[in-house]
Order: sequence, then structure tokens, then C-alpha cells
Amino acid sequence: MKDTFSSYHPAVNFLFFVGAVGCGVVFLHPAYLAVSILCGLSYYLFLGKTKSAKAFLLMLPVVLILAAVNPLFNTQGSTVLFWLFGKPYTLEALLYGGAVSGVLLTMLLWFGCYNYVLTGDKFTSLFGNWIPSVSLLLVMVLRMVPNLIQKTKQIAGARKSLGKGNEGKLKEGLAVVGALVSWALEGGVVTADSMRARGYGTAKRQSFLIYRMERRDWWLLAVEIILITAVIVSACLGQVNAEYTPEVSLAPVSWGAVFYGIYLLIPLALNGKEAILWHILRFKI
Amino acid sequence: MKKSTSVSLLVFFLLIPATLFLGTKLPGRSYYITSTLIILQMLLPFFLAFEGRKPQARELVVIAVMCGISIVSRVAIPIPHFKPTFAMIMLSGIAFGPEAGFMVGAVTAFGSNFFVGQGAYTPWQMMAYGAGGLLSGFLSQKGWLSRKPIYLAIFGFLSVLLWVGPLLDLCSLFLMPIGFSKKAIIAVFASGLPANLMQAGCTAAVMLLVSRPLLERLDRIKLKYGMLENHDKL
Repeated sequence: MKDTFSSYHPAVNFLFFVGAVGCGVVFLHPAYLAVSILCGLSYYLFLGKTKSAKAFLLMLPVVLILAAVNPLFNTQGSTVLFWLFGKPYTLEALLYGGAVSGVLLTMLLWFGCYNYVLTGDKFTSLFGNWIPSVSLLLVMVLRMVPNLIQKTKQIAGARKSLGKGNEGKLKEGLAVVGALVSWALEGGVVTADSMRARGYGTAKRQSFLIYRMERRDWWLLAVEIILITAVIVSACLGQVNAEYTPEVSLAPVSWGAVFYGIYLLIPLALNGKEAILWHILRFKI
Repeated sequence: MKKSTSVSLLVFFLLIPATLFLGTKLPGRSYYITSTLIILQMLLPFFLAFEGRKPQARELVVIAVMCGISIVSRVAIPIPHFKPTFAMIMLSGIAFGPEAGFMVGAVTAFGSNFFVGQGAYTPWQMMAYGAGGLLSGFLSQKGWLSRKPIYLAIFGFLSVLLWVGPLLDLCSLFLMPIGFSKKAIIAVFASGLPANLMQAGCTAAVMLLVSRPLLERLDRIKLKYGMLENHDKL
């Protein structure tokens, strides 16, 4: 199934991830963490299916080890569980380690989603007007990578059919790399001359924009801004305060967490809405 | 004053202190955001200077080619922590100057993460890779860095071990949740050491083997097309 959220304007997508990662990285309150991990995980699984599940299973041990290791560095805390190398291993430090590992997990999950939604072309179309040279550079580079890999294979194949490459792998590799660099640079100069001949640098660069802000994009943008403002206000009011060491003290869960949950559910909710609409439409037929 | 210069001054004397100040006022662990913002702000002047110079087509394309080769050497070689990427970035810096070296490094980090995954570490990697290209380009431009492969190998080994590697470890220190006690700092740098050593060894080996033929080719191209010598005639 295609992701509906990805079909929105890149700016809307980008802002969502700025909010999700920014808040996810700062909030240490367990309720907020749980909300972010649950939403992030479900969206990540929705986007990548089994691939995401495998990646998540790889993340989990890292996060757990990090949580368990924290009390070794941080010996603050009032409830001593046991003594290790003559140092106290405290419950509070372990909980704190768990919370900060949770932060790491939210970061990994949301960046995992980011990689699915905001592809290279979307990024360059988003920033192409602000940093034209750098984004042109980026476009050229991203195009060049598959090109270079293909050319490497061609060079190696050509050398093989010439009967070369029997003098050891290292020498052969060096010859291929050398040929590749020369070919790429000379080709690059031809490209550059061609660009100049077509008037590169003579006027302001226009960019090909495939994405346009439609009404639904403006709406979603407004919703995102309202929700994230509410979350930031709740954070400023101290609703996300959480102290772990020396003693655990958490702010009571309040409306801030609800807004946070709604914000993070936006991509999945859009997909859900789409699926329901589709069912209704099919039912009508 | 050039626009990019004034922006750089603005960033260093206003934006970064303001971010630091706000960072200390915000609750909780906002240093995640503060540190990443500062790294982004430090990258900003470099990119703006590049934009402000209005780079010509040849310069852009040469940088793009060097980035492409560095990215391929990071993405296509399957051994972790044993990639010729740093050597390629440093050689670009040596051949084309510190600015080009920085751009190649930063764009390599950003571009290769489209293949291996973007993360909160992306700005840090851009900074560290770029710093590697900048250092080699600067030393070479000043004439302090000999082009003999053996010296380049020693330089590559040391600069990865003492400059680029620690800069990357700094990222784990800021993004990994273990705090800033003396022990945590030592632990982060110690755990990064094996990877840095491997990477440094790889860089030295690549420098020893590839630097001479590669620099010869780059110089030949520069000579053949008269590139990157004076910016007006490119």
C-alpha cells in the first residue's frame, strides 16, 4: 500500500519530522516517550513492513544494553539494587538509562521513517531555491553514484576481455580506480562546458517544481503548527518535567501528552482515512 | 563587506551564543538540540561562502565527481570501518584546495547518508568529513604537507586518529545518553578507538598505494583544462 502522508508537499513532511524528532529528543517523560515510540514504531512498520521489523529487532539490543550500562557511569540514586566493582548500581540510574535509551529509540525510529518519506529529490526540491549551487551539487552527486558503480563494472569487464588483470587483485583494482577517476573527471569537464554553453550562471536558476502546495497541504500544515505549538506550550508549563536521580519524580500526565499523541499519529491517521474512504467508495459500487 | 562574510560574523557572534544561551534555559536534555543546531550553524558559513562565490560549472562538476567517488568508496565497500572515503576526501583537498576539500567532505557525508540512512548524526558527520578535507587542503596549500606517499600515509593515519575520528566520537558523546562525566567521556573515546584505528590504517594504506597515481591524474586534468587556478576564467 502506498503511503498517503508521502504524497503531501515535502515542506509539510519536513516540518512534521522536525517536530517529531525535535520533541522526541528532548522529552524524557515516560508517557511522552511511550507515545512517541508507539507511534514511531507503528508508522515505521507500516512503511517498511518486514524490513522495518528486522531493523527494529537490531535496534532493540543496542537500546537495552545502553539502558543497563548507564548505572555504571551514573551512580546517583537512592535505591541501591546491588554493588558492582565497589560501586552502587541504583534503580533510579537504571530507570534514567531506560528513559534516555528510549530517546535514542524514538530518534532511530523517526529517522527511519524520514528516510522512507523524504527522499533525495524531495529534499533538493525543498531547498533548491535557498541554496541553488549546493543543491545542484547534491543532485549531480546522487546521479553520479549509480553511474560510477556501473562504469566500474564496465571498466573491469573491458580489462578482463583484453586479457588484463592477472597481476593480482591490488594492481587490477588500482588500474580500475585510476581509469574511473580519469573518465569521471574528463566527462565532468565536458558536462561543465556543455552547461556553460547553455548559459549556466548567466541568470537566476529556475527549478523544476513537481510539488505544489494544494489546499490539503495548507490544512495539514495548519494542523501541524497548532498541535506542535500546543505541545511546546505544555512543555513550557512543565508537563514534561521528569527527574530520575536522585529520586524519581514525574509531572502528572495532562493534556499535553494527548496533543503530542495526535500530532504523531498524523501520518497513520491520514493512511487510515484513505483506507476507510476507499472502503466506503467500493461499498457504494 | 561581502554578504557571506557578514553572515558568517552574524552566525559566530550572534546566532551561536544565542543558541547556547537558550539551550541552557530550556528544560531537560535540550543539549541534544542545542549541540546539533550549533553544528548546523557552523556549517552554514561554509555553504553560504560557496553560494556567494557563485561557483562556475567546472568547479561544481569537479567537486561533484570527487564526491561521487568518495561516496562510492563508502557505499560499495562492504567492510565496516575500513573505507577509503577519508583518503579520497583528503586527496581532493590536496589537489583542489581547502574549500573544495571541505565541500567534498561535507557533501560526501550528506550524500552517502541517502544510501546508508540519514540520522541525527548527519550534521556531525558533515562537519567531521569536511574538517578532514579542509585540514589536508590547508596544509597542502601552505606547503607544509609533502606529496610523497609515505608522508601522506602518515598524515592520513594521524589526521583520522586525532582529528576526524575524535570529531565523530564527539557526536556519540552528545547524542548518546550517558551524560558528561569524566568517565563517560573517556568511555566514548575509548570505544571509538578501535574503529578509528582501523579507519586510520585503511586511510594510510590507501594513501600509500593510490595517492601518487591519483594525484598525478588530478594534476593532469587540472593542467589540461586549466582548472581551479583563477576563479574568473573557469
